[in-house]
Amino acid sequence: MTRLYVLEVPENEGFVEVAAADPVITVDKVGPYFRLSADDDIVIDRRATGARHAVWYSAVAGLENSVITQQDKNALRVQRR
Amino acid sequence: MSKTPVRVGLIVPSSNVTVETEMPRILARAPGTEFTFHSSRMRMKAVSPEQIRAMNAQRERCVMELGDAGVDVMLYACLVAIMSTGLGAHRDAEMGVAEQLSLGGSEAKVLSSAGALISGLQALGARRIALVTPYMRPLAQQVVDYIEAEGFEVADWRALEVADNAEVGRIPGERVMAAARSLDLAGVDVLVISACVQMPSLDLVQTAEDEFGIPVISAATAGAYSILRTIGASVDIPGAGSLLLADASVVAS
Amino acid sequence: MTDELEIVPKADHRVMGVDHAAFPTFDPAGTVRFYRDVLRFPVVHSICAAGWGPDKHPDFIHFFFDIGNDDRIAFFYYFGLKPYGDQTAPGDSWARLDHDTPQFFTNSRHLAIHVVDEEDLLEYRKRLDDSEWPVEMQVMHETIESIYTHDPNGYMIEITRALRPVTPQEDLDAAITIDALIDIAEGEDPSMDKLLERKAQLIVERAEAWERAQQHELAPEPVLVP
Ligand SMILES: [Fe+2]
Repeated sequence: MTRLYVLEVPENEGFVEVAAADPVITVDKVGPYFRLSADDDIVIDRRATGARHAVWYSAVAGLENSVITQQDKNALRVQRR
Repeated sequence: MSKTPVRVGLIVPSSNVTVETEMPRILARAPGTEFTFHSSRMRMKAVSPEQIRAMNAQRERCVMELGDAGVDVMLYACLVAIMSTGLGAHRDAEMGVAEQLSLGGSEAKVLSSAGALISGLQALGARRIALVTPYMRPLAQQVVDYIEAEGFEVADWRALEVADNAEVGRIPGERVMAAARSLDLAGVDVLVISACVQMPSLDLVQTAEDEFGIPVISAATAGAYSILRTIGASVDIPGAGSLLLADASVVAS
Repeated sequence: MTDELEIVPKADHRVMGVDHAAFPTFDPAGTVRFYRDVLRFPVVHSICAAGWGPDKHPDFIHFFFDIGNDDRIAFFYYFGLKPYGDQTAPGDSWARLDHDTPQFFTNSRHLAIHVVDEEDLLEYRKRLDDSEWPVEMQVMHETIESIYTHDPNGYMIEITRALRPVTPQEDLDAAITIDALIDIAEGEDPSMDKLLERKAQLIVERAEAWERAQQHELAPEPVLVP
């Protein structure tokens, strides 16, 4: 299971919407955080989120048994650790 | 008496002659401590609001000069200069001088004759007071308001209305005593015989206290009291009013 | 009417912001032009003093500018004192760093002054752009927008506005971040990866307390205490 957390703030809305629209990602709430879970890699396309630079690079709040393997201007990829 | 002397810095109006006369005379009578006196002068001839403003602007230079002399305690010796600039102004003035000194690493203690007068009245537990000032009436009224704002009731007061500061230094004691005698002292705890460090009054303090039967202070005796308290010396100087006998262990019979 | 017998205890957090932040200057004229004439920060205080203590520093002027909210920025100008260090190296009047010090590090220590809205931010941008010290950078962060320049002493000055108020969940997130940081910072090889892993654990641990607090419409404060 790949799992990451994203804080619920207006700037992260696009990020969470893109994740929720992806059939392989399950999105639920833990406290004020969104929890994104998937059996395989979680990949988010930056342009689809509309996130600006600073927002994009600070979107991930936590990693559960997972690791960021790509985070650049194109995409974020999180894999099972 | 083998200790190093306590160096006292006096910041005085240029036309003042009385502080440098009376303060050494009083403190020379303080047992166990030797004092030296060093003054720096702010140009001021007439006690007018304009000249007082111009004088206050020279304060920093005076503090620098006395700071260089390494004094232990510094007295800003112009009561009206502070009291006429606003209620409670002695706290700001003392704080400003202290800030200036401590920034440069000086540990000199800072006093003002305005603050010392208030401390002297507090030390005597005064509530209702009377006072004699040499000033013109509007300035005298400001001094009265200032003292009242510090929590004392000024029951009666006299202004001798002498504007020229050099002339203030020559006011005869008999004129001051006459003004004091004309006051209504009913219910008064403490008489301030001179609310001015330039109006000579040291020799009048004990005389007035004996005549009126209540504690009498002057700007000078209050200044001496504050200096002694500040340096931690005992306050035991006979013949200058009961304020300066605060620590006298045995009252002579 | 309030009950006068009720004793309201003082808050634990009592400080009231910046009294003053002080810096040395070797260019008092430039400093006054920058802060008083360009930014139009009023001069609010000055002290002339000498070095009377064991330090025996030279005669100096300590002067203050109002940066709003009764807070102040202050400078020391020492007569006859020459700057320390290699003046061609990165740094400012207070210190020069090694020649190979990267810019992000040199600029990491800076003063940020707050304005309330975009109009005010742009007003200060205009004042700077019309001067010898134009804005070097205007940046929109997540929740703030800032302009940056360096004053005549090389100190980086930021003027910033909040794009929206900070939310309670951001306070919670900050508390979790800092707790995670101190957990990993003293361990081996601190890294962002380790921080995010530790944060995930704390997020799960504290979620329940957060939700309880939200239901009771309580301040989230108790949640922040581990
Ligand atoms: Fe900043």
